[in-house]
Amino acid sequence: MNMQLFVNGIVNAALIAPPAIAFSLLFGVMRFPNFAIGGYITAGAFAAYAFNVQLGLPLLASAVAAMALTGFIVWLSDIIVFKPMRGHGPVTLLVVSIALTLILEHIIRIIYSAEVRGFDIPLQRPVKFAGIRITYEQMDIIALALAVAVATHLLLRFTNIGKAMRATADNPVLAEVRGINTGLVIGFTWLFCGALFGLTGVLAGLDLVIEPLLGWNLTIPIFAAAILGGIGSPYGAMLGAVMVGMAEELTVLVLPSSYKVGVGFMIIAVLLLARPHGLLGQPEIRK
Amino acid sequence: MSAYLISMATYVGFFMILAIALNLQWGMTGMVNFGIAGFYALGAYSSGLLTVKAGWPVGFAMPAAAVVGIAAGALVALLSIRLREDFLAIVTLGFGELIRLIALNEDEITEGPRGLKIDARPFADMFDRTTYPIVYLAMVLAVVALAFFIAERIRRSPMGRSLRAIREDDVVAEVLGKNVLRHRVQVFAIGAGFMGAAGALYAHYVQNISPEVFMPMVAIFIWMSVIVGGAGNNWGLLLGAGIVMAILEGSRFMGDFIDFLDAEKLSAIRVILIGVLLIIILRVRPRGLMPEPRFRYGRSPGGGSSTADAQS
Repeated sequence: MNMQLFVNGIVNAALIAPPAIAFSLLFGVMRFPNFAIGGYITAGAFAAYAFNVQLGLPLLASAVAAMALTGFIVWLSDIIVFKPMRGHGPVTLLVVSIALTLILEHIIRIIYSAEVRGFDIPLQRPVKFAGIRITYEQMDIIALALAVAVATHLLLRFTNIGKAMRATADNPVLAEVRGINTGLVIGFTWLFCGALFGLTGVLAGLDLVIEPLLGWNLTIPIFAAAILGGIGSPYGAMLGAVMVGMAEELTVLVLPSSYKVGVGFMIIAVLLLARPHGLLGQPEIRK
Repeated sequence: MSAYLISMATYVGFFMILAIALNLQWGMTGMVNFGIAGFYALGAYSSGLLTVKAGWPVGFAMPAAAVVGIAAGALVALLSIRLREDFLAIVTLGFGELIRLIALNEDEITEGPRGLKIDARPFADMFDRTTYPIVYLAMVLAVVALAFFIAERIRRSPMGRSLRAIREDDVVAEVLGKNVLRHRVQVFAIGAGFMGAAGALYAHYVQNISPEVFMPMVAIFIWMSVIVGGAGNNWGLLLGAGIVMAILEGSRFMGDFIDFLDAEKLSAIRVILIGVLLIIILRVRPRGLMPEPRFRYGRSPGGGSSTADAQS
């Protein structure tokens, strides 16, 4: 029984990890917590639904198309909404991002109503071994989360654009002075993170159901993971995702499962009390 | 129709109390609160449960709701006082969701999604059914006036100046010897108390409360009210709350003209409209329709009746 909870925790962590990495990267470069991630993820899930069920594409192709489309939507949201407001304080941008997530969610509501949906995939019997159940979809989620973690690591470590992203996150003015095209870096960051949010939408739609509140329900665990790991640190976000994902599932032992969202919040509260800059984050030096 | 207008005015009153509270916390002191729905729900359920389950008279239960709000506000503020303002947003949002989850899941106490039926209403036996809504509106407006008076007194007091200093730069305020921690906790608690009182007024007005009313969306409507009016200005937010309600209610009538929209789509359009307007206002008039007057320096101390003071 407890091994089953452990496996559920891993799946949960794998679902939270990619968006937590994306949220953290985005925060690093843009310097405000983007609450619109809920809307982005929901958009990704419904985009994949449109390609898969309405256009009849296979799921893999739909997922790739949805990632591309979500990346584009997220990039566009920067161009239309956030770019003209550069230089505004984090709180203003935060309010704007909440407004944006509401707009995205309700556009989806207008098109698809609040009905619960699922992808067009054959039902497969979950694999059982040693009394543990795991579905094929869940195995895919774990594999893809690992792939995202490795890909992000390689991107940040070994490619020019990745290094430029880290430089811009560290000190945008210095990066600009050193000849980095920060505008291009910012655009790429939105696109890359958008693709990850799209992927999350697909994965969440596989594991849960597709509905307009899909992204919102993931928002607090994602924040918890990113803050826990130290906001702005993508490696911290991976670690944070594992801890939040496991904590949410393991607390089922002591709390009713309906309090899962509350667990994320309690983790944030307790952690920020002890280490305001997260586990792997650097304390911010003020002024 | 007049019954409809009275009920709308009552709702605007709830919005105004919440907006005054948020203006204290954010507009004056710079403390972000996205858990407005949580404090509102806490007040509503406190007063509701105290009357329904504990048998308290309404006259005690409603002030008790404000006290619960104050206590919860002080707790959240103490918990998150070391946080940057954007992290405070996340913690308060989480707090609001936690309160909603408790209301939803502890259904043996709160009746959960079925909703808590509240029979008790203040002064209900003194008036007949037709005049009672007007009496209730008057009561709500009295609380609005009280909250407004307290907020204005704080704003004009030396404490108000300290609060603005904290908002602009808490390090400087600390260096100047202001007790930043105490001021922040006080203001957050007072604001949360107002929110609790608004929740109690709401609960005994609708007489049936359920968790789905207290979605995080409430916070956006109140933020919109404060931002439209002009953060830091108590008069502005009264206007802002009226405008937000006018948009919310006015778009209800759009359905009469555009027949392919059902109720669900219409309510979605309403939210989109609010969201788009909020973004536009933040872009073109970030200081709101009635901006906070620039603070003037170099006035002689004690010159309380100068024109600058009368306006500020």
